[in-house]
Amino acid sequence: MTTEIHDLPAESAVHTSESLTVWLVDRIAVYLRRSPGEIDPTVPLAEYGLDSVAALSLCGDVEEDFDLVLEPTVAWDYPTVEALAAHLLEDLAGEVGRR
Amino acid sequence: MLSETVDPARPATAATGQEQEARARVAELEARFGDPYDPANPMGQHQLLAADEAGEISAAGEAVLDGLNLNADFVPRALGGRLDRLDTLVRVMRQVFRRDVTLGLGYGATTFMAAVNVWTTGDAGQQRRLAEVLLANRKAAVAYHELAHGNDFVRNEFAATPDGAGGFRLNGSKQVINNAGRADVLTLFSRTSDAPGSRSHSVLMVERELLDQARVEVLPRYSSVGVRGCHLAGLSFTDCPVPGSALVGELGQGVELALRSFQMTRSAVPGMAMGAADTALRTVVRFALGRQLYKRSVMDIPHARETLSAAFLDLLISDSLSLTATRAVHLLPEETSVYASAVKYLVPRMLNDAMHDLSIVLGARFYVREGEFGVFQKHVRDLPVLSLGHAGSAACQATIIPQLPRLARRAWFSGDPAPDTLFRPGDDLPELPFGRLTLASGRDGLSASLVAAVDQLPSGTPVELSVHGAALRFMDELRQLQEDALSLSPQDRTALASPASFALADRYAVLLAAASVIGVWRQARGGEDSFLADPSWAAAALHRLGRRLGMRQPDLPDGCEERVREEVLRRFHDRRSYDLYDSPLAG
Repeated sequence: MTTEIHDLPAESAVHTSESLTVWLVDRIAVYLRRSPGEIDPTVPLAEYGLDSVAALSLCGDVEEDFDLVLEPTVAWDYPTVEALAAHLLEDLAGEVGRR
Repeated sequence: MLSETVDPARPATAATGQEQEARARVAELEARFGDPYDPANPMGQHQLLAADEAGEISAAGEAVLDGLNLNADFVPRALGGRLDRLDTLVRVMRQVFRRDVTLGLGYGATTFMAAVNVWTTGDAGQQRRLAEVLLANRKAAVAYHELAHGNDFVRNEFAATPDGAGGFRLNGSKQVINNAGRADVLTLFSRTSDAPGSRSHSVLMVERELLDQARVEVLPRYSSVGVRGCHLAGLSFTDCPVPGSALVGELGQGVELALRSFQMTRSAVPGMAMGAADTALRTVVRFALGRQLYKRSVMDIPHARETLSAAFLDLLISDSLSLTATRAVHLLPEETSVYASAVKYLVPRMLNDAMHDLSIVLGARFYVREGEFGVFQKHVRDLPVLSLGHAGSAACQATIIPQLPRLARRAWFSGDPAPDTLFRPGDDLPELPFGRLTLASGRDGLSASLVAAVDQLPSGTPVELSVHGAALRFMDELRQLQEDALSLSPQDRTALASPASFALADRYAVLLAAASVIGVWRQARGGEDSFLADPSWAAAALHRLGRRLGMRQPDLPDGCEERVREEVLRRFHDRRSYDLYDSPLAG
């Protein structure tokens, strides 16, 4: 079982929607047991069969790697990689603003 | 100026207003239910068994519950009912389950499960209307289930299609719904969008008599292994219009609402059902005292005696976990998601295991469907229904699994312990915070209280030392769990996780039960209940939980098991309940 994840240093990195998209696609591919190339950032994750348990785990991963606390419903409200990346970018900018 | 002062940190042992009221309600029910062995009593074993044999819910039993206006116990006080505490509701309903699981579920718990959705998110008009219906002794049904999708209800297909004019059209079927054919109010979990995912469902509250009757069909009843009197049937809708005012909460909020409501029902219902296991234990004690084998009573056979004590301990463990989870809904609503799932996972399992062990003592009598011990086989068949329904054991474990790494990282060994009052059954509680329940938590005060207890537990006597030693072992277990949870691979944090992930959820649930036992005993020390204040039960209960996890542990100190065994007999002879409350019973 390989779990190759592009580790982003959470604090210092400048996050872009590209870097977040790559991170999310890689992580979600692992949950779905697919290759990252198969994940279209504009397709709802539920269409790929991402279950609610995995969606909650994904929130945990974001928290761990980016030091963000997310609502567990975030993957429901931002159902594609594209939407999630945009939301995370906003959240991360907010975090920086608060620091 | 002289004035009387009360130490707010440590309420007096005298019962508070809430506690007095709870005791009075339990006593009121018990008085009405009467002698369980009287063949003429509608709430006695004889008649309830006969109703079960006939596959009917007892009409006379329902009339007794109507007379008590039991539905009021499901309606919040602000809406004219009696519901102010979830732990009290568990106590009250336990009295019903003690007599008959069919009545407990078919008259009671089902309506409560439907109503919670409306109390959680309904608007003022819906809440008022539902309260009115329930207080008039009418029923509500919770129509969630679709056989094709089981607990994976995010894929449910029953549709409420927006009609463009603010209302909905209902199409499709729901199956195995309790009281589908006779409830006046239906809460329908419905697909309101074709998109996949968790924002495509909504809950509707509809009144049966306002529906176009030609467009609703009640499907034939299912016959079941247990709760044979429950009216489990399906409902089929064909292009049936309902007004927009039926929507509970926002459009697309159904999954979230369901998961919030589940936290209340999952933490409460297993503790209610404990009443059936109490009766089963009582039945086997009665048998063991009366039956002569090898020139002695079965009670003198060590294996039989130990089985009875073990069942009593399982009830005390189950009640401790049920108590903390239901009180946590009031006190730690942000943390309730995992506790509720732990209760719904572990308590039914423990009760079913205990029933199985008890059946061995009962021997051939366990197979007899009538007479003095006939109630036992009924409870054996009825109780497993608890592990089914909206959240099976595995679904509960699946709720816990993705939260374990989060708790391991953020909560364990760093968070604040739960407040002492979490463990004190007699303490008042604040109102139910329906809106504050969250879907996942990053805190775990219950486990933190276990860690804190290690430094605070007394260790003067051998029995106290035994409790302390067990607390240390469970703390080590938490550390091990933390390590294991942090090393779970992503695949093992999905619904298709390996059995090893499910085993982690099991160990965590057992650990929460241990933390609950320790908390309840600590808070009972020096209190008015001399049995709960004695460390013997806690030591023996922790030993039993340790064995469940396969822990290496020293034998219990002398006297512990005797103390528990004496209590089993005392409560049998004095007619007191086998739970944390030691309530007086009619028989």
